[in-house]
Amino acid sequence: MFNTLNLRAALVAAVATVLLVASILIGSRNLTNFDPALVAYLFGCIFACFGIVYRYTVWLQRPPTWRYFARGWKLFFTGRTIAYGWELVKHFIVQFLGQKFIRNRGKARGFGHMLMAWGCLLAFAITFPLVFGWIHFGLKPGGINIYEIFVFGFKIMEFPLHTVLAEIIFNGLNWSAILVIAGVMIMMRRRLTHAGQIAIQTFEGDWLPLLLLLAISLTGLGISLDYKFMEGKAHQFMAITHAITVILFLLWMPFGKFYHIIQRPAQLGIAIYRRAGAEGPQAVCPHTTKEFDSQMHVDDVKAVAAELGFNYARKDGKSHIEYSPQGKRALLAKAHLKARQKAGSLFG
Amino acid sequence: MATLPVSAENLITQFGPSLNFPPMQGYPGRDEPDDVVKTHCCFCGMQCGIKLLVKDNRIVGFEPWEEFPFNEGRLCPKGVQRYLQNNHPDRLLDPIERVEGKGFRPIAWEAAFERVVSEIQRIQGKYGKDAFAMLSGVSLTNEKSYLVGKFARVALKTRNLDYNGRLCMVSAGAGNKKAFGLDRGSNNYSDLAHAEVVMICGTNVSETFPTLTHWIWQARDNGAKLIVVDPRLTPIARTADLHLPIRPGRDSALYGAILHQLIKHDWLDHDFIANHTTDFEKAKEAVKDYDLEWAERTTGIAKEKIMQAAQWWGAAKTSFLLHARGIEHQSKGVENVVACINLVLATGRIGKPYCGYATITGQGNGQGGREHGHKCDQLPGNRDIENPEHRKYISGVWGIDEKELPGKGLTAYEIMEAIHRGEIKGLLSICFNPLVSLPNNNMIREALEKLEFYACIDFFLNETARHANIILPGSLHEEEEGTVTTAEGRVVRIRKAVNPPGNARTDTSILLELAKRLGAEKHFGFNSSEEIFNELRVASKGGTADYFGITYKKIEDNMGVFWPCPSEDHPGTPRLWEDRKFKTPDGRAHFNGVAYREPAELTDAEYPMILTTGRVVSQYLSGTQTRRIGKLVEQYPEPLLEIHPKTAARFGIKDRELVKVVTRRGAAEFPAQLVETIREDTVFIPYHWPGKKSANQLTSGHLDPVSKIPEFKVCACRLEPQGRPAPSPAETKAYASA
Amino acid sequence: MNTTTFRTDQEFFFDPQRCIGCHACEMACAECETNGQTAMIHVDYVDRFLSTQTSVQVCMHCEDPVCAKVCPADAITKDEFGIVHSANTARCIACSNCVQACPFGVPKKVEPLDLMMKCNMCYDRTSAGKKPMCATVCPSGALFYGTREQIGRNRPNSSPVNTFRFGQQLVKTKVNIMMPKGATELVVDSE
Ligand code: HEM
Ligand code: SF4
Ligand code: SF4
Ligand code: SF4
Repeated sequence: MFNTLNLRAALVAAVATVLLVASILIGSRNLTNFDPALVAYLFGCIFACFGIVYRYTVWLQRPPTWRYFARGWKLFFTGRTIAYGWELVKHFIVQFLGQKFIRNRGKARGFGHMLMAWGCLLAFAITFPLVFGWIHFGLKPGGINIYEIFVFGFKIMEFPLHTVLAEIIFNGLNWSAILVIAGVMIMMRRRLTHAGQIAIQTFEGDWLPLLLLLAISLTGLGISLDYKFMEGKAHQFMAITHAITVILFLLWMPFGKFYHIIQRPAQLGIAIYRRAGAEGPQAVCPHTTKEFDSQMHVDDVKAVAAELGFNYARKDGKSHIEYSPQGKRALLAKAHLKARQKAGSLFG
Repeated sequence: MATLPVSAENLITQFGPSLNFPPMQGYPGRDEPDDVVKTHCCFCGMQCGIKLLVKDNRIVGFEPWEEFPFNEGRLCPKGVQRYLQNNHPDRLLDPIERVEGKGFRPIAWEAAFERVVSEIQRIQGKYGKDAFAMLSGVSLTNEKSYLVGKFARVALKTRNLDYNGRLCMVSAGAGNKKAFGLDRGSNNYSDLAHAEVVMICGTNVSETFPTLTHWIWQARDNGAKLIVVDPRLTPIARTADLHLPIRPGRDSALYGAILHQLIKHDWLDHDFIANHTTDFEKAKEAVKDYDLEWAERTTGIAKEKIMQAAQWWGAAKTSFLLHARGIEHQSKGVENVVACINLVLATGRIGKPYCGYATITGQGNGQGGREHGHKCDQLPGNRDIENPEHRKYISGVWGIDEKELPGKGLTAYEIMEAIHRGEIKGLLSICFNPLVSLPNNNMIREALEKLEFYACIDFFLNETARHANIILPGSLHEEEEGTVTTAEGRVVRIRKAVNPPGNARTDTSILLELAKRLGAEKHFGFNSSEEIFNELRVASKGGTADYFGITYKKIEDNMGVFWPCPSEDHPGTPRLWEDRKFKTPDGRAHFNGVAYREPAELTDAEYPMILTTGRVVSQYLSGTQTRRIGKLVEQYPEPLLEIHPKTAARFGIKDRELVKVVTRRGAAEFPAQLVETIREDTVFIPYHWPGKKSANQLTSGHLDPVSKIPEFKVCACRLEPQGRPAPSPAETKAYASA
Repeated sequence: MNTTTFRTDQEFFFDPQRCIGCHACEMACAECETNGQTAMIHVDYVDRFLSTQTSVQVCMHCEDPVCAKVCPADAITKDEFGIVHSANTARCIACSNCVQACPFGVPKKVEPLDLMMKCNMCYDRTSAGKKPMCATVCPSGALFYGTREQIGRNRPNSSPVNTFRFGQQLVKTKVNIMMPKGATELVVDSE
């Protein structure tokens, strides 16, 4: 990926990183609200930001990705923003957050993933703002049991200590760790027992992400448990391993399995694209004489394939791509039949 | 027995057919089975080897069995899906009893046995022994077939026992006995490998025996010419070197005409004819007028093609002729078969490597089942029930007085006719669904409604069993040990993989218990399938189908043994007649004079089209098992009327339009499928479906005079387009048609 | 995991003219562990009105797989044995670019799963030294998996070919089609 530096991507990534640093400075009021214990995490995040944005931009520049990206936004902003917006919201809730399509692949599979995903998203929602200093907590001056929350230095709300709300807020990370651990367990069980998974899985690709999540969650949880039950005896160990695993996670994000967290929102674009395709003209297969896909998609695939150097133009001016998959298979079988006939026998 | 206790629809919701699909991720445990059982597919005479995967007394999947010599792992879709008949929601788990107006209710085994036995005794006491009939089937193992034969004669003491092989290949059996004195394919399929000409007559190998295709392709790879005789361009005919699209019911004319050409061009093996055969002159005399013009007129095949076939067949040094139901399911089935055999004998190409002839037996154990005794005229070892010596020998084995052994009874269709006439009052059936599989099934339904008592042994409530008073839940192929004999004559081992579920019992234990209660316990002291097999060995000893030298161990060690195998040190006989000692009384093979005659029902102004019936690859026989397996049903969900576009245009029929097909026996509606792959004078409907979707509402009950096989393959029909498109298969639900 | 015993001497050969359209391969494919009960092989009538000819198609495992190139999500990869794998389940966004771009009509979008799935040559079996399900059960030898030497011996009148021309496009594949003796490529262009 990095052996030929993609200048445009590097530029975008640099800009994004500068913006992140700026927002940290602003959000934490020039680091006055910054918790020094989080400095290692902060550097991890800043590096990860560069990596992720760089990778994302490189990815976007691939012809098929760019076509979808551009087409998606164009569709969104040409007139039907409200209809498509609604489509987006629906898809976001049912498929992205609700992950119905993963549950369709298998109940345990869907449930396990939901636990992992929600656990992680919850943890992100809490930790990133804290690390960046965008949020901080403080005791209300003059009291000992009223806490205040500041966002970008502005006070947002206050709440009394030792209430349910307080428990939820302070234990948010513990809760997310528990969700992730449960999810990881389910996914690991699948990877241990499902013969199909066993056949195609790899350590770096499939086990390492699960192990890493497990390590992060266990050590994270460990920090709290350590305080509760072991008077912090293991704090040093827990804190260091937690920091290391989290930073590994962040830096690895652009490459391995976790990249899908950043890349998956593309499925929202596809939802719009498909809706628009269904509303537009349909492509009819010359062989089966049936509709098989939107004309827009067939045209786009033809253009992308051409951009990538594939040329399916036939003698009669049609393109092989204009046939449905079934039509393409029939064309091959027919061509084969013809070749056999020409050789004098259908059999041989 | 009157009509059904409640509506058929009602019974269908309760007992199926319903469709069994595996869970989306497959059955759990498939990758770590408790047991891997090497057995066979139950869905045709090929009996392909297969390994079943067992987890917690359930069959959870299959693995190809690549070492088994016939199929080397190859399977057709029925074989792949075979395991889904297990764990089926429709499975009968308790004996059930008819309750008027309500349907069926479970009862205890004790009560069920008591009722069956008392009804048998009542009917036989009142109307005589033969008023209680038994019908059986050749999906049963050799052991169970033998047991049924003995049970009917020794415990039930009835003459009227017959089996569903009567609608399979009895005409081939009879023809083989006439010509060779023995009923078995003369060769195993490895003799196909270097045959120069392979002629397959009336057999849609690609759909009915898919795994045999490999052997035919192998012959072609080695240079064989393939000739296919079929009214339709079946997948195997599509690439054939020569396709003879014959008008249904004209087969003996074609083979007569070919013989005529062989004689005319002296493509004959005079030595063989002179030294090893009789009656060549009769055969020659019979075909003397069958020149090409006549043949073209009669068969509807261009004379050039007939000549080409004769020439290839005549000039070949090695050859293999195979035939199946297409020529056998006719009122001249035996004549068609011996006309084929005449071609083999005239060229002397038998009993030598790569010189073969065989009928391809259709049913799972069509071969073994018929040899060992549930055929109305036969005793174990392919013995004749009317031959005094044979009777004496078997009576001796069974420990009964020869006088007590009943004589020859009625055949399957005749039994139904006798029930219809009121002569037979009671029926016990196992492994047979005549309401779907017999022709003219409106008559069959009426007959069933006239029975005073009907008991049925089956694992599912099949369409016929809905008319029963008591159903005894029996066992599947994979729930009992045993053997079957494949279409090649190879005796193979069927293994028990799981126990019957719930309160279902093995078929064997049901028959043994009935025998005991009928007072014949001392003749049925079997403790295992192997013990039954060992008695079968003795009973078959000295008969033409001699199994005496075959033991379970020998089968297991050799992955099958070919009969005849008269002694334990005998290796079995894959290829017959190498010694030229035919089993006829004079030791010679017999030609038969075959004068052509027309099929029983001809087309006329009122019924202008020929209707022929057959099978599809995804279904087996009457579909009791395969119409319950989801993916097999989806592959070909409903019977279609295949019709040539020109004929369709003549009658104004459009693709998928609903067409009413009317014959002298009934009418039924099918969606039209316009295809150029069928003769213009013929329409085709596959027969596996029940109720309103049953093709056998239309077929005729004309029987072959010798073998009593019904003429499923030819009758006359009329087509009445209904002017509306057929509903979708999902709406029609043909698999469960009432 | 990753301890593969993939047999590099074995290859896939297919011949649509031998296919008898029985669908055994399709049913068997659904017994393969990697794709659950969803069959990946395709069997269709070419034109039932005219003929009983069927087409049968497995993934050809292209040397330069267009399916992977047109995938916007980088979900399709080719491994060191030349197997082009089914879409990565975490990445695939079910856009079906691959479905339309594959010249052999192989990938299949499975709607409720929002996932493209395709033949991976029964990787669970081939990576353990076994034959793919479809080629093991195929009763007609339309699908065959074995060595080049075996196929040469069994099929003396045919040559394996792995070069295709779809219009202007040359495609080289890992899977072979059996062609008349001496043929070197199969041209799929206008009739
Ligand atoms: C919220 C949006 C997300 C979506 C739509 C999404 C989607 C997916 C999909 C489709 C898979 C493949 C599942 C399968 O078929 O087996 C997957 C796998 C996975 N996802 Fe996500 N994901 C999301 C968020 C996350 C997050 C936040 C994490 C946590 C880091 C995560 C971690 C994983 C892991 C570890 C796997 C691999 C599971 C395995 O196969 O062992 N995902 N994700
Ligand atoms: S039905 Fe016949 S050909 Fe098909 S797998 Fe079973 S035994 Fe073999
Ligand atoms: S055949 Fe199609 S799916 Fe398979 S590798 Fe080639 S392009 Fe991809
Ligand atoms: S199993 Fe073989 S013959 Fe049957 S459909 Fe598949 S490729 Fe064709």
